[in-house]
Amino acid sequence: MKDFNLPDLGEGLQEAEIVAWHVTEGDNVVTDQPLVSVETDKAVVEVPSPYSGKIAKLHGEEGDMVEVDTPLVSFDEGEAKDAGSVVGDVQPKGDVKVEEAAVEASGPAVNKAGKATPAVRALAQKMGVDLAMVTATGQGNVITAADVETAAADIAGAEPLKPLRGVRRAMARRMAQASSEVAPATIMEDADLQDWAEGQDISMRLIRAMTKGCEAEPMLNAWYDAQENGLRIHNKIDLGIAVNTDAGLFVPVLHDVGNRSSEELREGFNALREAVEARTVPAEELRGATITLTNGGPLLGKYTTPIVSPPQVAILGVCRARDEVVAHEGEIAIRRRMPLSLTFDHRAVTGAEASIFLKAVIEDLAQAN
Amino acid sequence: MAEVTMVQAVTQAIGRALEDDENVVLMGEDVGLNGGVFRATEGLQQRFGSARVIDTPLAEAGIAGTAIGMAAAGLKPIAEFQFMGFIYSALDQIISHAARMRNRTRGRLSCPMVIRAPYGGGIHGPEHHSESMEALFAHMPGLRVVIPSSPVRAYGLLLAAIQNPDPVLFLEPKRIYRTVKQDVPDDGVALPLDLCFTIREGSDITLVTWGAMVQETLSAADKLSELGIEAEVIDVATLTPLDMDTILTSVEKTGRCVIIHEAPYTGGFGAEIAARLAEKGLLHLLSPVLRVTGYDTIMPTPRTEHYYYVTEEKIIEAARKTVAFPETPEDLTPHQTNVA
Amino acid sequence: MTNDFNIPYTRYVDPEGVAISELPEFAKDTSRLIELYRHMTVARRFDTKAIALQRTGRIPTFPPALGQEATHVGLAAAMAVEDVLLPTYRDASAMLVRGVTLEELFFIMGGDERGFDYAGPVHDFPQATPIATQTAHAAGVAYAMKLRGEKNVAVTIIGDGGSSKGDFYEAMNFAGVWEAPVVFVVINNGWAISLPREKQSAAETLAQKGIAAGIPGEQVDGNDVIAVTEVVGRALERARKGEGPSVIEALTYRLTDHSTADDANRYRDADEVSEHWKAEPLLRMRNYLTAQELWSKEDEESLLVEVDAEINAAVDKFDQSDPQPPESMFDYLYAEVPADLAEQRQDAMARHASKGGAHG
Repeated sequence: MKDFNLPDLGEGLQEAEIVAWHVTEGDNVVTDQPLVSVETDKAVVEVPSPYSGKIAKLHGEEGDMVEVDTPLVSFDEGEAKDAGSVVGDVQPKGDVKVEEAAVEASGPAVNKAGKATPAVRALAQKMGVDLAMVTATGQGNVITAADVETAAADIAGAEPLKPLRGVRRAMARRMAQASSEVAPATIMEDADLQDWAEGQDISMRLIRAMTKGCEAEPMLNAWYDAQENGLRIHNKIDLGIAVNTDAGLFVPVLHDVGNRSSEELREGFNALREAVEARTVPAEELRGATITLTNGGPLLGKYTTPIVSPPQVAILGVCRARDEVVAHEGEIAIRRRMPLSLTFDHRAVTGAEASIFLKAVIEDLAQAN
Repeated sequence: MAEVTMVQAVTQAIGRALEDDENVVLMGEDVGLNGGVFRATEGLQQRFGSARVIDTPLAEAGIAGTAIGMAAAGLKPIAEFQFMGFIYSALDQIISHAARMRNRTRGRLSCPMVIRAPYGGGIHGPEHHSESMEALFAHMPGLRVVIPSSPVRAYGLLLAAIQNPDPVLFLEPKRIYRTVKQDVPDDGVALPLDLCFTIREGSDITLVTWGAMVQETLSAADKLSELGIEAEVIDVATLTPLDMDTILTSVEKTGRCVIIHEAPYTGGFGAEIAARLAEKGLLHLLSPVLRVTGYDTIMPTPRTEHYYYVTEEKIIEAARKTVAFPETPEDLTPHQTNVA
Repeated sequence: MTNDFNIPYTRYVDPEGVAISELPEFAKDTSRLIELYRHMTVARRFDTKAIALQRTGRIPTFPPALGQEATHVGLAAAMAVEDVLLPTYRDASAMLVRGVTLEELFFIMGGDERGFDYAGPVHDFPQATPIATQTAHAAGVAYAMKLRGEKNVAVTIIGDGGSSKGDFYEAMNFAGVWEAPVVFVVINNGWAISLPREKQSAAETLAQKGIAAGIPGEQVDGNDVIAVTEVVGRALERARKGEGPSVIEALTYRLTDHSTADDANRYRDADEVSEHWKAEPLLRMRNYLTAQELWSKEDEESLLVEVDAEINAAVDKFDQSDPQPPESMFDYLYAEVPADLAEQRQDAMARHASKGGAHG
């Protein structure tokens, strides 16, 4: 800042009273422009600006006395700030935001919800009808009011709504996801257990058979990445084992089954089973299966179509072993047979690969021990 | 009692206003000696003299600006713009001043003026002579946009516009200037502004329209009746301020609505009505609200103008599809865009 | 057919404050001269105050009229009470002479529409912002006056920049054809934001633009308040007698920026501005009055004190006022609030109800 002092006003005067300022702090002034009117003995005089510049500070208010040769006005020394406008205020108030260029818009989303006009939707809501349960008869699959009324009548004959909670709700979601992503195909075949030695632990035998299957065809011990369209084949076999409890279906994971002894496996398996029953399985133990083993249910069932859980690509379903009449070496015989159902994700795995896996499983199960 | 056409009803109304109120003046290009290029002001200069019926120089912004000055100074000018297509140079004056005079002076000054212009196509006029840009003005707060559709309503609404203390855009659908005659008593009685007119009752579908399209819509309604569809026809008349209640009440009854206007589709005033129906009448709607409008193109020059027209056929198609929804009548293609 | 034209130029008092010819009659009334000087002082002090208020964030952008006081005061002082002024956004100084109060002006500058609801000159127009549009209004106002047989005149102000605009030509043309009682005062202050006069038009004078509309045009020294008052007064008389409109170009200089958001240093030379300070209107008049022994140091000081007090009192009134309530957005669009706006009006009122009279 450079100061401009009150100049000598003549006639020996040492001071003058400020009568009126003609400029304000912030003004741009030019040489000779009147800055202030001051009163001397003889007159009210205007003090002109000595140079052009921007007023930074006025020293004194109207009515104050200012001494000659003391600062009257201070001028800014720097560059004038550009307001960047002629009206209003367009300066940023805080930090200037740096924005990424916008991501390109994607195409239209696919909507699978039912099609109905607002009036029909309002009707459905009023009648307590979920549009997903309504069969559309309008052209273009549009749900009409009559359709809603029909559905309402049907629902009226059913039991009241039972909400699905907890594990069952999770199951509903999981299965829906699987259903929408996976391209399932199932091969069904029987294993022959007739030659089993005494005291075989069926669970351990199944687990071992799975490892044999994975060794024969590692493609089934893999995760499919739909986004990248690639298959990650796992080195370890982390086997998901479906366990049915009162609360619902759990699939705890037995880790690295290919490298553990059967005693370890037995212990681990029992521990997991107890923990599941007691609902004390840590979440970690329910995740990360690379392939799954499930059974078809304790009561009945022979062949099933188990559901692959993405990102896994295979699941082996096993039903109760039973005695069956078969053709064996050219003669009718009764042999112990175990039905197997292998569902695989046909996006990633071929039927041939699935067959190789299953063949290895069957061959191992056929062993005496 | 003489039957008059719409353009004669306009003359009649202006004459009545000039007679009854010495503050009313009429101004524009060729309005005096020539009686207006459409003869809308025939004989008025002879009756009232050239100080009150003014042949102005050729300057639309000047016509609007001087009229605003007159209005704020206590006169009631009726400013004619020869065609709506020539009004654009006056937009600054209309939007920046006519629409704002009362607001910015907190009511101390006001602008009681009428801006009249023949508008719309279908007369095989050269370029720029067939504009329908009522939506531009409807978007401006402080203006009124009034569009008559018959001789009776032209007389009554124009009187109301002249008497109104605020600026009114009075757009005269020139295609029907002379196509219909009605008995219009010169009784000085104004019709109400800010209200829709329900000019045909029906319970199957509501057809909302204004201007020249009212004629096509009424014809379409007759044909629809033969098909068993009874249409309710609403003439909006005052676009802004809009009387949405009349339209909503009708749609509550019928559940179906088609809006018809000659102006282009995007941003046309039909979009405003459709939006308000979605906002306030959604649960009564049984089918989408269709708009039957001009294309989003410049009105073609006369040789191909007929491609552009909003016809009775298009209105009937849209109405039939709306009523049949979600089915499509066999003889029609499924609905693609606005224009049926 | 006359193809020659002459644009007369009038000045009575030179920049040093010396009369160069005999003064017009009215100037022999010393109280009148002092009154003119007082008005110019009010204008100058008002401007200074407004800039100070803008710099401290109390009013938004302000367009000062520093240097143009003689033109504004002269033209307004020549007008009769029943005449009508149609000003632009820069013409507060003229409006003050017309009877718009300081308080009303602070409301206008402070962005409150109530300022345009003048209690005094109830027929004067609000400040026009779209350039030159007011000139067409003036021709219309003048037509209304003539139609009603009144002896009043419409006076409108336009800048050198504005004189380029089509509305101005159209307005002069209408006024000429109608022989309307309107005076167009072109305040040529040398600059239209950053465009100097010589780039604004190739016409030698702006006054001669009236010739094209069949209207007499003349120039006046815009910094000589006596000359401005006299020239505008003569034009008003002609109009009152039914002799039609006039164009008067007042030559002055914009001693400061276009507005408080502009920085004239970007486009013009400080030396040029300094030169023009030597010709500024208040100095000239003060020197003349002092030389005639009509004005003393005491007079100057007490005038400044008195004027500043008036101005500060008006600022206080504005500061103490509450902003208008939210419904004020709706209540003046039409003579009556239409039903269609009722809902929006309610919404605005409900949203801002709890905030009471707080800051707008």
